[in-house]
Amino acid sequence: MNKKIIVILIVCLWVVVAAAFIFSKQIILKTGKTVLLETLPVDPRDLLRGDYVVLSYKIGSPEPDKIKKDKSFYRYDETVYVTLEQRGKYWESVSVSSEKPATGKDIFIKGRTRNSHRDRIEIIYGIESYFVPEGQGKEIELATRMGSKQKPAVEAVIDKDGNAIIRRIILEK
Amino acid sequence: MFGILLWGIAIAALLFVLLIILGIWRLLTGGKRSFRKKLLRELPGWEEKGLISPQQGDGILGLYSLKRLKGRHGMDMVKVLSVIGSVFIGIGVIFFVASNWQRMPAYIRTALLLAVTIATLFAGYFFSYAKKGFENLGKSLFLLACLFWGGSIALIGQIYQIPVSDNWYIMWLWAFPILPVAIFFRNSYVYILSSALFLVWNFLYGANTHAANYLYPAIVFAVLFPFGGGFTVARRINIIGLVVAAVVCCFFKLDWLALLIGAGLLSYAFFRKTEPLYLHAATISFLCWAITFFTVRDYYPNFYFALPLVLLFGLSHRHKAGLNVILTLLAGLVWFDMIFYSYSVLYRFSYAYYNFLIVQLLVGVVIYAAGIIIKIKKDGFYLLYKVFGFLTALVFTYLFTFNMPYHWQRYITPQFNVSALVLAGLILAGVFYARAGGYFKNRASFLELAGIAAVMAAIAIFMTLPDRTNLHVILANVLLFSFALISIFLGIEVHMPAVFNGGAVIFVLLIITRFIDIGWKLKEKSLFFILGGALLLAIGIFFENRRRKVVERMRG
Repeated sequence: MNKKIIVILIVCLWVVVAAAFIFSKQIILKTGKTVLLETLPVDPRDLLRGDYVVLSYKIGSPEPDKIKKDKSFYRYDETVYVTLEQRGKYWESVSVSSEKPATGKDIFIKGRTRNSHRDRIEIIYGIESYFVPEGQGKEIELATRMGSKQKPAVEAVIDKDGNAIIRRIILEK
Repeated sequence: MFGILLWGIAIAALLFVLLIILGIWRLLTGGKRSFRKKLLRELPGWEEKGLISPQQGDGILGLYSLKRLKGRHGMDMVKVLSVIGSVFIGIGVIFFVASNWQRMPAYIRTALLLAVTIATLFAGYFFSYAKKGFENLGKSLFLLACLFWGGSIALIGQIYQIPVSDNWYIMWLWAFPILPVAIFFRNSYVYILSSALFLVWNFLYGANTHAANYLYPAIVFAVLFPFGGGFTVARRINIIGLVVAAVVCCFFKLDWLALLIGAGLLSYAFFRKTEPLYLHAATISFLCWAITFFTVRDYYPNFYFALPLVLLFGLSHRHKAGLNVILTLLAGLVWFDMIFYSYSVLYRFSYAYYNFLIVQLLVGVVIYAAGIIIKIKKDGFYLLYKVFGFLTALVFTYLFTFNMPYHWQRYITPQFNVSALVLAGLILAGVFYARAGGYFKNRASFLELAGIAAVMAAIAIFMTLPDRTNLHVILANVLLFSFALISIFLGIEVHMPAVFNGGAVIFVLLIITRFIDIGWKLKEKSLFFILGGALLLAIGIFFENRRRKVVERMRG
């Protein structure tokens, strides 16, 4: 095959891949429902690895007596759907299910299980890293630390399939 | 800023460690390598000037077992500089992305970086194919374009806050689209980059999901190996990647994945004889499969392993891969132990450390006997089998010589007796076969026979008198001593200093072990050790003198 055609085909491939990648995220931001999520204080040693902040959410380790579960044990890295409800300002988890809930009724977020031990369960949602803009690192890092008076909240957008994405991080006094 | 500083410190530390390793290497090799290199470079000049004749040149090279350089070898300066330049620019752009520069809207940043990436790709094409004489520059620009592509993907991932735990996803989006550049433009740099990225992708995927990634071996076997002909470095990165994946299978209990990797590597080893790593990697992967099978299937004996084992032995012999014979023997030994253990669990006959030692001893002798048989068949690797078998028997005899029988449970059950008898029968069959083949004719072969007989007799006594533990310990010491004597005499008989020295080492090992054993139990340790140590030194000097003389006589 002509090398020129191959170069053009590769460029097309790259543009399509990049566009699809952007589109898959942009569609969530455009069509999804915005929720405000409460973060938990993180051990400062794990905080700033390079240029991002590790975020830990209240909905990531729900309290055992406040959540309904459809199974007693979840495998490592099992896909689960967590239904959310607004309580005051923040959205909180109500139930965990390994089956996808019916779309359109409740707001639910897709996650993957980490450790499931007795009645406790840890879930990650793919929104645990926040890449810190130049010069803002220290402020956010201090706010997420244990014992900080400030409480960072995350404004996340969730699409109808439960995929989430961070829109911005809000530092409250 | 902080992140960049950390990176700088990390790179500096890495360079420092590399320098120390280099220093130790130079110290160990004593600059011999640099002398040889200089000699290789200077010698053609001496011949040109007529200082020495080509025959003399060959003689000098032969003295250092060197081969003449064939034409211009290695990389030239232009290539090195252009590759380093591309890598620097690429890393710079990735660092720039990592600093999350906000003074420009995200979509403009993305569009700009993508445009630069595409322009670089076209430039690579232009200098490689459209303009004559700049092929090296073109090749490096292709690499640079692929590094920029990684930067673009990382930038998009960062804009949408793709978490670090999903980095495998980023790696995949980086590695796959650059594969056509590597394949269609035969670009070895991009092939290496892509292979390394796929390896990292598979590793990160496994670390994050603990799940089997069948896609990785599929890509390596179906795309990276077949299209990577001639790219040795990239091929070896892929082989290492597969071995790492197979080893990881043991931890995450993924037996089918390990089997797939082993089988794929074995078929490549079969068809591509020129790459010895295929065979080694296949052997290690199959061993990983056997281990994973053992842990996953709840001790169900894995008889299926016999098939790859036979194939691995066959290929090792056919390809004359001595190292792989040893690897396969090791894999076979581990597999045999696991199958024996599974069997004992399945049929509920008790199997403890003591039984394990006896079985190992017998298996060692079986391997030794196999060495004798293949010597009759005129196979060059007989010595490997003999040495491996001997070392196996030696190690487990040594473990037997410690007087700690209270650690050992003994189960001489009928099933165990039958198993031991089967192994002993194998050995006897081997010995009779060797006798019929006319093996036992000289003194050396009778010494070997004496060693085999000593092991068999010792085991027979162990098993008929299972409760006389003190007797066992004494017998094991006698057996080890007889190994030392037989090695020494055998070494003299067959004129092999290594065998003779091995015997001497066993002897010294035996004395030192027992000496420490006894010394440990005494109250007055200091005096015992000082006197004993002095005595040992004296014996050692005397012994070493004799040993040297014998070895010199053998060599002379």
